[in-house]
Amino acid sequence: MGGTPGGPIDTGQHEVEDWELLADAINSVLGAKGLQTTDELRRAIESLDHYRDLSYYERWTAATESLLVEKGVLTSGEIDEKAAELERRWSGS
Amino acid sequence: MSYRPGDRVRVLPSEKPGHVRTPGYLKGKNGWVDSLIGTFPNPEDLAYGLSGLPERHLYKVGFRQADLWDDYDGPAGDYLYAEVYEHWLEPQGGAS
Repeated sequence: MGGTPGGPIDTGQHEVEDWELLADAINSVLGAKGLQTTDELRRAIESLDHYRDLSYYERWTAATESLLVEKGVLTSGEIDEKAAELERRWSGS
Repeated sequence: MSYRPGDRVRVLPSEKPGHVRTPGYLKGKNGWVDSLIGTFPNPEDLAYGLSGLPERHLYKVGFRQADLWDDYDGPAGDYLYAEVYEHWLEPQGGAS
């Protein structure tokens, strides 16, 4: 990976999960609304602290969060609050 | 400066901070210009929300695999082609 050994490659097919479709859709919308570009997303992805530990769309999601916070569209507090709210709703408590 | 197909070039060994579109394993390596791909806004500036202007030439550059990897043991005729922006290239033998 990037010119260094990256280990074995899993060439098997896998189902795209709902949240991955959503991550892709959100990225398209942010691009269409001029809030995020592919070049910015690449930069944000490469800047992730845990790049190698994340899956493809986990990288997109984490990078999008950092870009939206950087641009002042959302705050980390707002994102964490919403995530906690969804967590409560899905766990039924 | 601009390059023409066949020109011998070297990728700058720059440690420019921030987002770059030149793979680390090409830095300081010798190759040749295969062709001009086109002219585009500089993605290294676009990555920070800037205009990327003036536009930069993007070249398809060829490298001998044996020149890229210390332990390369494949056929001598193995090549790697990469897209490299003009500001990452200098003529072989130093800038003229």
